[in-house]
Amino acid sequence: MEDIKANVVLDAKGLACPMPIVKTKKAMNNLDAGQVIEVQATDKGSTADIKAWAESTGHQYLGTIEDGEVLKHYLRKSSGEEHEEKKHSRVVNNAELEEKLKVDENIVLLDVRESAEYAFNHIPKAISMPLGDLEDSMDQLNKDDEIYVICRTGNRSDLAAQKLTEKGFTNVINVVPGMSKWSGETKKMND
Amino acid sequence: MSKRVAIIASNGGLFDAYKVFNIATAAAATDQEVAIFFTFEGLNLIHKEAYQQLPMPEGKEHYAEGFQKANIPAIPELVEMAQDMGVKFIGCQMTMDALGLEKADLLDGIEVGGAVTFLDFAKDADVTLTF
Repeated sequence: MEDIKANVVLDAKGLACPMPIVKTKKAMNNLDAGQVIEVQATDKGSTADIKAWAESTGHQYLGTIEDGEVLKHYLRKSSGEEHEEKKHSRVVNNAELEEKLKVDENIVLLDVRESAEYAFNHIPKAISMPLGDLEDSMDQLNKDDEIYVICRTGNRSDLAAQKLTEKGFTNVINVVPGMSKWSGETKKMND
Repeated sequence: MSKRVAIIASNGGLFDAYKVFNIATAAAATDQEVAIFFTFEGLNLIHKEAYQQLPMPEGKEHYAEGFQKANIPAIPELVEMAQDMGVKFIGCQMTMDALGLEKADLLDGIEVGGAVTFLDFAKDADVTLTF
């Protein structure tokens, strides 16, 4: 199984309800917005609890992996990014990208979400290049290619598109809203 | 807007304590505003001595082993967490008077109030529970 990168790993193994949630809440307070936490628990109720907890607190539940007795839950701290203003001028919507993917074999699609988000669910053609690593990884890309950038809600991809344009990429397009509303084909963790 | 949870604790056994404090800590960890009104035997749950040795229901003593095996946190541990996360504890003045309890007999950091103190909090609650 491929390793999923998390900024923080929380050990809640052996703890009974409601301790995994309480510990998660505490650990989450020390995270920066956008960071990913891996919560290791053995309480079987924790999967449903963590999901419900994320929903009511507004954090993003990415998924859970079973590793023997241990459940590894992945969460990403929210930042209220849904409300921020977008700036990169060239934009397509999900449907337009989906069409494009069908007709154009050579399309370059960058997924700039955290690698944990990518691991659980991504568009088959997408290349993972988390926003934080973009600066170091962009050398692998061709400056004249048509590059589509996607994230979850269009915010991180907007920043990535701006950064790429600033660095001399001439043909960068932001995909909105992105994976949160993507209804096309995806590749999932367990496929 | 955070949700508000109002809980009445009116029984004093170990199982009652778990029902009350589990829900309270889980709600507080989910960014909800929680207050518990301790009345009648419920005052046991915040009594400095009693809350460390709450009784299992009669005939259910054999569950003690299961609690240990499942690594269920002790009540004082849950109470501390609840208070840490800002759960408000309100002791019922009327019951305290009737049972001859002083505020000093109860845990630090609690409030003492009458029914109206609780009702004032509960009138805007999204969830109200009685144990």
